[in-house]
Amino acid sequence: MWAKLGDWFDERFQWRQVWDAIFLRKIPHVNWFYTLGSATLFVATLQAVTGILLTIYYVPDPTHAYDSVVYITTQLPMGWFIRGLHHWGASAMVVLTVAHLLRVFFYGAYKYPREMTWITGVFLLLVVIGFGFTGYLLPWDQKAYWATTVGTKIAGVAPVIGDWILRIARGGPDLSAVTLARFFGTHVWILPASLATLIGIHLYLIIRIGISAVPAKDE
Amino acid sequence: MSPSNADQVNRRDFMKTAIIAVGGVIGGTIGISAIPYIIGPALKKDQENWIRIGAVTKVELDTPTLFKTNIETQTGWISSEEEISVYVLTENGQEYTAMSNVCTHLGCRVRWIPEQGKFFCPCHNGVFSKDGSVVSGPPPRPLDRFETKVEDGVLFVKRGA
Repeated sequence: MWAKLGDWFDERFQWRQVWDAIFLRKIPHVNWFYTLGSATLFVATLQAVTGILLTIYYVPDPTHAYDSVVYITTQLPMGWFIRGLHHWGASAMVVLTVAHLLRVFFYGAYKYPREMTWITGVFLLLVVIGFGFTGYLLPWDQKAYWATTVGTKIAGVAPVIGDWILRIARGGPDLSAVTLARFFGTHVWILPASLATLIGIHLYLIIRIGISAVPAKDE
Repeated sequence: MSPSNADQVNRRDFMKTAIIAVGGVIGGTIGISAIPYIIGPALKKDQENWIRIGAVTKVELDTPTLFKTNIETQTGWISSEEEISVYVLTENGQEYTAMSNVCTHLGCRVRWIPEQGKFFCPCHNGVFSKDGSVVSGPPPRPLDRFETKVEDGVLFVKRGA
């Protein structure tokens, strides 16, 4: 019965070939370090889901941002859990992405013909850091405010264009409602769009070009 | 493959089951948490409290008297002051009827016009009599009433469910 139904759908979706190409592809004999990329992808998915849930209540405005975060954490059923996952998931993202990068680096997996996989991965790391930086401001508490003051100031010391970068990051000379709004917009629109695009290319390459084997001792 | 191995769970099936089980637990935990998270505020019971309206001696006999009072309300993360207006009517100085000034048609504020002895709604010409029952116009039901109580000569009305 189910097999028949499956066949019926496959005739119309032609999906099985794609599924097999993704999940039944041949891979070299590898070790547990090779799961770090999948772990990162998993946490990224978790961040997307919990992030979407947080936007149901979060308000990116100086008057209400902090209060809405407190409301999520203390008043809503399971709000502490959703926010907690997003909060700790953010740290996990950075740790896993870097660990994944180190694995690829030390195994020499970035070499021909996988340079583009590596380069998209580097951009993904930048996007993840961007997520962390913009997301850190959103609770609009003391730590968020001053961390962003310092962070944007650091960008400001770059020679020649420093002040210009600082003003663009803050949306003016000082941290303000404009800063909070643009950090939120970046966090929920620009970065997720970049992340999805880059992950798409990254995964395509992993499936199309394949992954490298653990290098032999004399290589 | 030896015949004894045939009965055993192979690697692929084991992984398949493990992925479904672990994925199910994780997905289920988040999915089930999301439901109360999303519908929580909708299910929250309305705040029920007695609001101090004023001294009963201020209520005029046999004519609806308007009382205004400010109450603090908490909606989500915003607490705001809201002015509520109540018309209080007493026939004998013993029993009090407290009526909302919100028209039951579409929520405009009704006004008591003493010369006519009726409540008028400015929006769609709803007319209510002294005790709040509909005289004419579109209102579907009489003016809403609050439960009342008198303590030490002070009148209270009950707000919420």
